Amino acid sequence: MARGSLLWMAPAAALLFAGALDAQTAPPATPSKPAPKHDLTGVWMARNPPAIRAFAGATFTKEEPEMTPWALAKYKEAKSSNGGKYTLETTNDPVVTKCDPPGVPRVYFHPYPFEFVSTPKYMLMLYEYDHMVRRIYTDGRPIPEDPDLTWMGSSVGHWEGDTTFVVDSVGFNDKTWLDRLGHAHSTQLHVTERFRRIDMDHMQLDFIMQDPKALVKPWTATFYYELRPNWELGEISCSGDYLDFKKFEK
Amino acid sequence: MTRFSIRVMIATLVIITALLLAMPLWAHHGAAAFDVTKMVTVKGTVTDFQYVKPHVQVYFDAKNDKGETEAWQGELTAPNKLSRAGWTKRTLKPGDMITVTGNPAANGAHTLWIRKLIGPDGESLQLFED
Repeated sequence: MARGSLLWMAPAAALLFAGALDAQTAPPATPSKPAPKHDLTGVWMARNPPAIRAFAGATFTKEEPEMTPWALAKYKEAKSSNGGKYTLETTNDPVVTKCDPPGVPRVYFHPYPFEFVSTPKYMLMLYEYDHMVRRIYTDGRPIPEDPDLTWMGSSVGHWEGDTTFVVDSVGFNDKTWLDRLGHAHSTQLHVTERFRRIDMDHMQLDFIMQDPKALVKPWTATFYYELRPNWELGEISCSGDYLDFKKFEK
Repeated sequence: MTRFSIRVMIATLVIITALLLAMPLWAHHGAAAFDVTKMVTVKGTVTDFQYVKPHVQVYFDAKNDKGETEAWQGELTAPNKLSRAGWTKRTLKPGDMITVTGNPAANGAHTLWIRKLIGPDGESLQLFED
């Protein structure tokens, strides 16, 4: 089997799986115990209501964001791996073709869980997909003014009230897409994530994406997550696991 | 028609409708390799089980209508997800009798996207985390 045809299946399978759980989803689902104060520790998995799930495998909102001509031109160049019939020759999705790190916020379009680990100086975010790591500094430092450019950006975070952790990230390179469809961003991208723990088991994540070069106005979206107390993150290494299918091409 | 068989028929229709409703998502995100409008069931003997990323592979031999042995391949989700559903690399082994139901390859190859798998103990194994 062509490796390209395998690559799309992980997200597709997850979506299908998510579809099967439709009935029990719409957040806030069964309310759980109250949210603990200043604590997001644990493994979280996407659990969106159907109306959001209709597009959330691919992009942030049903409507297109308002793009600048620069971003629109880049978007038109994107040949996403999202439409189904593609091979490594017909898509230029950097994650699929090169195993590039997905970057933020695209990392949320991989159908795998992520984990928060709290330390005195920073919050760690561990994403199962390609074991991406983000350090979100909580020691009061300001958001860096001229950081080196990285895949996952430079992040600072603070609590608003007892249950909302606000993360600001800048310093992204411009090699990643914002989503699976190929919406473009520049190095001026500023992502704000507001993780609001609704109760013990449920979390709402509001995104605000700002990029004066790419977006005419901020692109905002909301996804929902559920705590998975019994889950443990495994290992996924895109370059090692996804780009070599010879081992089962029989 | 007995009341019982009508019930079975209604239940079947409900299941088919549910499956059809679940399909647009799948189709939207790519069904290049598999024909999601079809579902086939194959009974066979495991010849190899590869607990690998991105998708776990099950190889098995099955007899066709003429009694000839055919080699099949079935795909499951990522091992990370199957592990959270209770699987390990030892869940299946060569020689195990399994019954596999899934979407066949669109090109007619003996390949299935597995949707249901009855293991050697006769139990339907959980195929997704949670």
